Amino acid sequence: METFLQLLVSGLLMGVSYGVLAAGLALIFGVIKIVNFAHAAFAVLAMYFPAFWFLEWWGIDPFISSIIALPIFFVVGYGTQRMIIDKVIGTPAAEMSTLIVTMGLSLLIENGILIGWSGAPRIINLPYTLGSFKVGSVLLNQAQTYSFFIALVLIAALFVFLNKTMLGKAIRAVADDPESCAYMGINLRFAYCLAFGVGIAITASGGCLIATYRPFNPFYAETIIVIIFACCILGGVTSVQGALIGGIIIGCIQMLSTMVVAVALQNVAVFLLFVLFLYLKPEGLLGRKGRVV
Amino acid sequence: MIAEKSKQGHSFWVDYFPLILVGVAVLLVCFIIGPQRYYQRVLLLVVLWICICSNFNIISGYGGQIVFGYMLFVGAGGYTSVLLFKFLGVNPWIGMFVGAAVAAFLAFVIGYPTLRLHGHYFAVATVAFPLMAIPIVAQLGWEEVHIPFAGRGIESMQFTDVRYYVLMSAILLVVFLIIVRMIERSRFGYALQALKQNEAAAEGMGIHTHRVKLLAFMLSAFLTGIAGTVYCFSILFLLTTPAAFGLFIIVRILSITIVGGIGTLWGPVIGAVLLVPVGEVLAAEVGDRWPGFQDLIYGVVLLIAVIYLPGGISGKVTEIRRRRKRLASPKVQAIVAPSNPDSPPKRGTPSSFKVGTSLAETRGRDPQGPILKVEGVSKLFGGVRALQNVTIEVPRGKILGVIGPNGAGKTTLFNVMNGYLGPEQGQVFFKGKDVTYLKPHDLCQMGIGRTFQIPQIFSNMTVLENVMIGAFARERNAPRAQAISEEMVQKMGLSHRGQDQAVGLTILETKMLEFSRALATQPELILVDEPMAGLNPEESHHIGEIIQGIAESGITVMVIEHVVQSLVKFADYLVGLDEGRKIAEGSPEEVTSNPHIIEAYLGQKWRRRYAKS
Repeated sequence: METFLQLLVSGLLMGVSYGVLAAGLALIFGVIKIVNFAHAAFAVLAMYFPAFWFLEWWGIDPFISSIIALPIFFVVGYGTQRMIIDKVIGTPAAEMSTLIVTMGLSLLIENGILIGWSGAPRIINLPYTLGSFKVGSVLLNQAQTYSFFIALVLIAALFVFLNKTMLGKAIRAVADDPESCAYMGINLRFAYCLAFGVGIAITASGGCLIATYRPFNPFYAETIIVIIFACCILGGVTSVQGALIGGIIIGCIQMLSTMVVAVALQNVAVFLLFVLFLYLKPEGLLGRKGRVV
Repeated sequence: MIAEKSKQGHSFWVDYFPLILVGVAVLLVCFIIGPQRYYQRVLLLVVLWICICSNFNIISGYGGQIVFGYMLFVGAGGYTSVLLFKFLGVNPWIGMFVGAAVAAFLAFVIGYPTLRLHGHYFAVATVAFPLMAIPIVAQLGWEEVHIPFAGRGIESMQFTDVRYYVLMSAILLVVFLIIVRMIERSRFGYALQALKQNEAAAEGMGIHTHRVKLLAFMLSAFLTGIAGTVYCFSILFLLTTPAAFGLFIIVRILSITIVGGIGTLWGPVIGAVLLVPVGEVLAAEVGDRWPGFQDLIYGVVLLIAVIYLPGGISGKVTEIRRRRKRLASPKVQAIVAPSNPDSPPKRGTPSSFKVGTSLAETRGRDPQGPILKVEGVSKLFGGVRALQNVTIEVPRGKILGVIGPNGAGKTTLFNVMNGYLGPEQGQVFFKGKDVTYLKPHDLCQMGIGRTFQIPQIFSNMTVLENVMIGAFARERNAPRAQAISEEMVQKMGLSHRGQDQAVGLTILETKMLEFSRALATQPELILVDEPMAGLNPEESHHIGEIIQGIAESGITVMVIEHVVQSLVKFADYLVGLDEGRKIAEGSPEEVTSNPHIIEAYLGQKWRRRYAKS
């Protein structure tokens, strides 16, 4: 029972970080209607820069980096959409081309990291990386606990941005019906760039959070990309709140599966669940058909 | 492009000789290189990548179902044969086929559920499988498998001289290319290309899309399983999970096929010849300093190719050739087209629409009774009652018109009748058989043809190829199907457009194409949905004549039409629908003077006025 509780709590903490990554993916999918295969690669890029290198160079705490990452990766995402993905959108086979393009992009980022910063696994070693709080009989990893709260704040901020600001409302409107939005004077290209930028920014921030308690290497993205897809599908593909809940469920399943199968196989359980959901309930646990952001 | 060649006749030599030449060319290069191991290895890699990409092309190029987890089949084939060889001493030549069978089996297990998913859902779902395979294989203790060198030459598929591998893979390559070409020329290949462009239309043309996709997927996986074994034995000495299931494999496959031209036979050949040597040289030159540089280049190439060269090099070549051809014969077209404006078909010969042996004559049938019966059918969309308890009998050999205002449920009725939708209640009988829950492809095979309100053509195929897809519903042999289609296209007055892409047709031509394609399936009953929408009166009149011609040739016609005036001219019976209910039926005069119909179309005021007059 105690192990169960411990694993459940770890899964919850882990899952919220997944939720942040998945929220970015869901935003991009919901608005631009593309699957961003490079999503996890952006998160891994953020683990190196700013999280890892800012600490190395200037001693900046990764949690502060997770905030610094927001503007940096907003620009990166905005530029990616503007210069690369925008060129493929609107072509006959856009759905597939964007997937292929982002797949190429992820390879670019991964191998760029490999060439620039070597393939050695990295770990951020700060007092809170291995430290833990004790609540009753359950141990809470300090880094994960901090990440948990920052992640919740990030998702809340994204939620407020989408629902309370004009720009956010414009993005939601575009997700709903791009054609009418164009007639209402919303610049579609700008809205797409904005959505991609915001999606990547929040993902990068999530990447910095994960970096505080997980070792990573240039190809870590290949491990987590399907996990993020799974969170998204579970949460209803296009819903930000759903992505968070999906993330928590996936995190818990990943942790709890270690009670049954070997640790190395924990992702297999997640992937199986993902495929099952895709097949049986592609609109997710919470998603209704056509629901947006 | 296919039809361009087939127009010159299906010459065995034209089709297959170049493929054998490819094999000869490989051996020639191999001979020239001589005993330099490194260059032989590069050559071998080129050949193997062409093999893998050609197989990938079957499902993802021709079939359009891009399998992002394709590396699973490379790895499955390789791992199976290597493990069998290492631990059980199974001969690799046998192991190769066992591996291929394992790959095909995996394709079946994965494809059966996932091939029903559309677009990126399918692509993303398939990625999960190789990522699952990596930890599973590692868990079984085979993360790194050293391939033991038995050194028994051909017997253990292990040669000290790379040139033997080159010879072996060259033979394999020629076999694979021949298989791809055979598919390209066959009914199966046409079905794949049709469903890639328009799955709903392909279903309507009698293609069991799910089965065709699954077969293509399994075949593709089987062949790649074979290639995977050769890859492992000839290139790798140490089999690792990343080498066999890594994401880099699919990126390479995609780069090569997209640069060369996806969905074309020569695409993978061109792509691999261009990219693989460059990649290998780069890896050799800078690989020590910058590991991953090769993959970086593949990533960049993939990006550039998708954005700036979507059809690939072979697509570009076809485009240029087509343009040149058009420039070469502009006058012919300019003269033929206006002087022969959509050349009205010569009616009067009632059998003018019979294709081959008319089914209506040859098939055992009872001439009495309705050909199709709709009994008490209801269909709900959410809370909207699209059809309510509709009962209709379609008399054999007649023209039955269906009228009704927008949203009356006319198209829904058609969709229920030919299997695109299943009704909540009621039954549909075709020739006395209950066909309520059969799929469109079954119904097409049974003899129900269909044209669509919004034309559903295979836009990137030529007019002739479009019609051939229809003809394949009955005719398995490609040349014969082509002959039937040519005849049909001629009768419909589209011959001058036969070799043009369907996407460039005028509205009338598109409708004529839909008719030709539906008739090529040799139906007994044809469902025609708003054939006159978007046409001017003259063109509508032409369509009316065609419909009459079809009926005269013994095919029952059921027409939905908005323009009641034109329908009245040629329909034998009319049925009126409003708000999902049948409100009138009978002869055209009866129905058009029915007060319900007048009210449905024009409102109550007119009904009162009509009542007074």
